[in-house]
Amino acid sequence: MKASDQHPEHLVKRETGIPGLDTVTRGGLPAAGATLVMGSPGAGKTVMCLQLLAAALQRGEAGIFVSFEESTDQIRRDAASFNWADVLSGTERLAFVDARPPADADASGAFDLEGLTAALGHQAEQLGAAWIVLDGIDRLLRLQPNPHVAVDQVARLSEWCERRGIGLLLTGKIPDAGHAQPAYLEGLEFMLSTVLVLSAELVGRRLNRRFRIAKYRGTAHTTDELALLMDDDGLHLPYEDAPGGSPASASTKRAGTGIERLDRLLAGGVYRGSTTLISGQPGTSKTKLAVSFALAAARRGERVLYLSFDELADRIVRNVASVGMDLAPHIESGNLWITARDAWRWLIEEHYIEIQRMLDRHQPELLVIDPVSALLKVSNAETAYTTTERILATTRARGITTVMTSLTENDEPAAESTLSHTSTLADTWLTLDSNVYAGERNRALSIVKSRGTAHSNQVRELLLSEAGIQLADVYEYGTDVLMGTARLQKENEEQARSRHQQIERDNRRRELQREIEMARMRVRQAENEASHLEEALDNERASESEDDSAARTHTEEVRNRRDPVRSPSRPRGESDEATSERGKS
Amino acid sequence: MNQNADGPVRLTLYVTGDAPRSCRARTNLGRALASLKLSAETAREIDLIQSPQEALRHGIFATPALLRQTGDEQPAILYGDLSNEISLQQFLNGLTSQRSTDDA
Repeated sequence: MKASDQHPEHLVKRETGIPGLDTVTRGGLPAAGATLVMGSPGAGKTVMCLQLLAAALQRGEAGIFVSFEESTDQIRRDAASFNWADVLSGTERLAFVDARPPADADASGAFDLEGLTAALGHQAEQLGAAWIVLDGIDRLLRLQPNPHVAVDQVARLSEWCERRGIGLLLTGKIPDAGHAQPAYLEGLEFMLSTVLVLSAELVGRRLNRRFRIAKYRGTAHTTDELALLMDDDGLHLPYEDAPGGSPASASTKRAGTGIERLDRLLAGGVYRGSTTLISGQPGTSKTKLAVSFALAAARRGERVLYLSFDELADRIVRNVASVGMDLAPHIESGNLWITARDAWRWLIEEHYIEIQRMLDRHQPELLVIDPVSALLKVSNAETAYTTTERILATTRARGITTVMTSLTENDEPAAESTLSHTSTLADTWLTLDSNVYAGERNRALSIVKSRGTAHSNQVRELLLSEAGIQLADVYEYGTDVLMGTARLQKENEEQARSRHQQIERDNRRRELQREIEMARMRVRQAENEASHLEEALDNERASESEDDSAARTHTEEVRNRRDPVRSPSRPRGESDEATSERGKS
Repeated sequence: MNQNADGPVRLTLYVTGDAPRSCRARTNLGRALASLKLSAETAREIDLIQSPQEALRHGIFATPALLRQTGDEQPAILYGDLSNEISLQQFLNGLTSQRSTDDA
């Protein structure tokens, strides 16, 4: 009983110990009074009651199981297949009561259940019972001529338990999963405060169990129909039993992918604790790429859980060895666990609970699910999306780096609902494509998204060799992307063209140099010529000056000879005026 | 001790104190026994309020209940306040007193 429920005005609950049930009931079932557990045949009503008693016994409580349908031996045999069966035997705190009416029992008028309460009161007092289970009481009450009287009597039983502080579990049958009221004791569901409905129906030839709290007065509770699992541990509400807690803080550390160039494209790798989706068509090496993540982590000494839905572990080890990835040492060292599961063999909830258990068991730092799309093959695949979300919620909460592969059937990955859904959950989405060109099929890798990372949007060719996985550039040729031999040919052509261009550039450079030299030579010649011409000009000018002077001298001498008067030695008596007159003439 | 053709018969009426249906069952059984010229003491009465362990021992949880044990055969049970005369008569069919049988 929870300490928080000590206020008398509050409903007092007692934990059931059934995984998930205490979560959805916010603490358990009424500690006093009846809970009606209705269910279709095989839904798990009796198992739920036995499991609750086993958990109560383990807590030191006591209980009484009253069977109106099966013998005590049969009940014990039913319980024997569960891991908690031993708890039910060899203890004096549990009483099994065989209350089956004889097969030919009849009734003459109405009866009441005071004999039952007298017996149970006696037994409960001796044991100090906290729980009483009445399994299949409708078999007795069907003898009651008036069904309404039977319903009233069950309601009185509930009150009787409530007064004594005993939790009462009543099982009731419903004809099929679609009904929410008992096949007999109709109306009982209105009289009791707590009603649980278990259902079982075949989906894809597999039995699907569901659970719903139809009614739980006086307390908050989950009203959704929930998946219910039954395995060796008994019943589970798998999605409600997951560990809670807030997600681990966002890491800024990177986890390498094992491919150096891909790490560079992703600025060092993917963030630790993030989710990476690798999608691609068959044969595009999704598994090898996922193994590369796993191997890189194992080499760093991290614990890795590789969950394969496609291949057996030894096949994976063998196949990736062909591309230089040796997993064996890491498996032997215990760093790497490879677990193969058949997707079709279990319900989606069973896969979920097993993955949770594996995460608990191995505490991995890297989880690979290869491929996550296989979960869609299971019988009740309509919940595969939410199951994937729940798995990722767990890995995020625990800071586990997760890598999922997904098989693409379509040429356009984003058109597929699986991917469109899963990819939204992924922090990094890598796509692998097959590129067919010139008679070759080659693999291409592109980074569709990588949150928080400046990544390349370029397509790269994924190269597989004995040296491992590498990335190479690709060439676009018109609308085609060239890879493989075409890429090599294109690379050679590119190199030849580059060499040719270089030669042309060198030739041109040399030609220009020559022209420059010639131009400079011509300039020098012109300068020499100009110098010669200037010199000639100077000589000419000097010559002209001498000639002019000689001419003037000659002219003067001629004049003087012709006109001696004018001579500086002119005759006496000649006036200056006479001289001037001659000059005018 | 009563008997029929198959041997001695034991009648036990399980009641819970003075609960109304238990009281009615006593009355109805006494009347039916009287019609068979048997005394009301022909049937042993067990009060489960006083002896609840008897309910566990005999697997009688609905009351009132009339148990008819013939020899080593599996007991027959008739639940209810025995208000349905026809079903009660059928349940008691063939029951006669030892003395009546001897007298005959």
